[in-house]
Amino acid sequence: MRPENYQAKSHPPSNEYELNFGPNHPGIEGNYALRVKLRGDRVIEARADAGYLHRGFEKLMEGRLWIQNIALVPRICVPDPTPMEVCYSLSVETLCVLEAPERAQWIRVMQLEMSRLAAHLFAFGGHAATTGLYTNMFWGVADRDLILDRFEELTGGRVYSIYNLPGGVRRDVPDGFLERLAALLDYLEARLEDYDNLFFRNQVFIRRARDVGAMTREQALEWGVTGPNLRATGLAFDVRRDDPYLIYDQLEFDVITQQAGDALARNLVRRGELKQSIRILRQIIERLPAVPGPVRVPIPNPLAWNAPAGETYTRVESSKGELAYYVVSTGGDKPYRVQVRGPSAMHAVRVLEKLSVGARLEDVAQIMFSLDACPPEVDR
Amino acid sequence: MSNEREVIGIHAEAKRGNPLAHVFDELTRFCRARSLFMLHYCTGCGAIELPPAMTSRFDMERLGIQPMVTPRQADILLVTGYVSVKTLKRIILTYEQMSAPKYVIGICSCTVNGGMYWQSYATAKVLKAYLPVDMYIAGCMPRPEAVIAGLRALIDDIEADRAESWKRYYQHYDHYLGNQQSLFGDDWQTPTDILAEAEHYGLLGEHTRGKHTALLERHQRPLEALEMRLRVPEEPE
Repeated sequence: MRPENYQAKSHPPSNEYELNFGPNHPGIEGNYALRVKLRGDRVIEARADAGYLHRGFEKLMEGRLWIQNIALVPRICVPDPTPMEVCYSLSVETLCVLEAPERAQWIRVMQLEMSRLAAHLFAFGGHAATTGLYTNMFWGVADRDLILDRFEELTGGRVYSIYNLPGGVRRDVPDGFLERLAALLDYLEARLEDYDNLFFRNQVFIRRARDVGAMTREQALEWGVTGPNLRATGLAFDVRRDDPYLIYDQLEFDVITQQAGDALARNLVRRGELKQSIRILRQIIERLPAVPGPVRVPIPNPLAWNAPAGETYTRVESSKGELAYYVVSTGGDKPYRVQVRGPSAMHAVRVLEKLSVGARLEDVAQIMFSLDACPPEVDR
Repeated sequence: MSNEREVIGIHAEAKRGNPLAHVFDELTRFCRARSLFMLHYCTGCGAIELPPAMTSRFDMERLGIQPMVTPRQADILLVTGYVSVKTLKRIILTYEQMSAPKYVIGICSCTVNGGMYWQSYATAKVLKAYLPVDMYIAGCMPRPEAVIAGLRALIDDIEADRAESWKRYYQHYDHYLGNQQSLFGDDWQTPTDILAEAEHYGLLGEHTRGKHTALLERHQRPLEALEMRLRVPEEPE
C-alpha cells in the first residue's frame, strides 16, 4: 500500500464509532477479538470475532485412533487441560464398557482438583492484571507453578500431562508424592489470606468489579452459563455434586454460591472454590493410600481397538464450567464424530456480547476475565 | 549462518567512512540486546508458558525483556504455537508494523512443521515460509527454561550481529510475498509498503522484486477507511 493511494472516507459527524478490540490487546484473554461499537465510551453493540485459534479439533479426532486422541484433547483448553483428558477417557470407557479401577478414579479426582486450583490461580492473575494489580498476577502465576511442579512429578508434563487414558491412568503416584502435595496445600492455604488482603478485599478491585457485567439467574440459564459463573447468580448447580462422576459422591465439599451475578461475585465464587479444592485434596491425601488395586485395567491392542457402535454424552465440571463430550462410534478404530461441549463457547461469545452492552469500554476486559473464558476452547 | 555476510546499507557507509561509526554500532547492539521488548500477542497454546517465564519464578525481566503491548514499540515477535490462517494474516500485519530491527521467534513444534496439527485444514504449517524466523524453540510446549535459553541465544545473536532476519525479509520479499499470496489469494496486500521501506533502508536486493511483487502492484487498490459494518437498531426519537 502506497501512502498516496490512501483516501480517507468522510463520514457524517457522529459520536458513534467502531473499535476492534483484540486480538493483539492486553485486555483480551488469549487470541480473541471483539468488535465493539461505542457511543462515547459506552458500548452499544459488541460482536465476538472468534476463529483465530481454530484448528479443527473435531475433524482431526475423526482421523486418529481412540488412544491417539488422548494426546490431542488437552490442547483444546490450555489453562485447564486435565478435565479434557478425563472427560474423553470417561466417554471412551462408557462406549467400551470399561471401568477404571477405584484407585485410578481417586488419582483422576486428585488431578482434576489440582488442575482447578491452577486454573483459578491463573484466572485471578489475569483478572488482577486488567485492574492494574500486577502483584497478584505475579504471585498467582508463581503459585500456580508450584502446582505444575507436582503435575510434572506425577505425570511427567508441566502443562499437558497425557496421563489419563481409557481404562485408568498411566502410572501410580510416586513415593512421597502425597506428602509433598500436602506440604504444597499447607503453603497455598496460608497464602489465601495474602490473596484476600491483596486482591479480594482490595477496594480498587471491589469498586471496579462490583455491578460490572451483572446477569440474573434467568438470563444465565437462558444463555447456557455454567460453572462458577452460574453459581455466582445464586444457583447451586455443580456437576460434581448433582451428577457425580468418578468418586465425587464419596467426598465432602460445599458448592459455593454468590447472589449478585457480577464480576465481583464470579471472582468470589472462584475464591471459595480454591478453599474447597484444597479440602477435597486433603481428603484424597488421607484416603488414597488405603485404596487398593491397580491403576489401570487391561485394554485391547490400541492399534486394533474397535470400540462398539454407540454414542455417549459424558460431562464433568471443569474450572470454567460444564464440559461434555458427545462421542459417536460406528464400531471402527476411530471415532465417527466427536463434539466438544465447552463452557467457554457460551461464555465468550453470547454472554460476553450481551454483558458488554451498556458497559464502559474499560470494563469489557473486566467482564471477559471475570467470565474466565478460554479462547482455544471457543475456537477448537 | 555464514561468516561472509553481505555488508549493506548503513554498515557499508560506516565501513568506508568514519571508523568510530563501527564502535557506535557495537555499542548500539550491546544496548539493544539488553533492552528487548516482546510483543504481547498470544498466538497459540505456547503462550501459557510465557506468564511463568515473565513472572516471579523465572523472571525474564532480569534479562531486560519485558512485554510490550503495541507492535510499533516491540522488538521481538513471539509466535507461540500453531498459526491458523486467520491468525497468520494478523501476524504478518503485526510484523510489518514493527520497527526494524525486529526479531521473530517461533515457539513450539507447530511453528516448525505443523506439530500435532500436521493434517489440520486450518493451520499454516511452516512459519518460515511466510516470515523470516530468527530462532526456533522446539517442544510441545517448551518449558520456561527453554524459552529463556532461547531468548538468551537471541541476545547473543543480536550482540554478534547475527540476528538479521528482518533484512532477509526486505531482500527476499518476493519469496515471502509469494507464499503469502498462495495462502491468502492473489489480491493479498498489507497497509505497509515493504518495497518503499526496502528502498529507504538501502536493502533492495536482487530478490526483493519479482513476479509476486508485480502481482501485488497490479492488485494495488486504495485502502478503504474503516467502515461501520455493524447494524444498530434505530432508536425511537
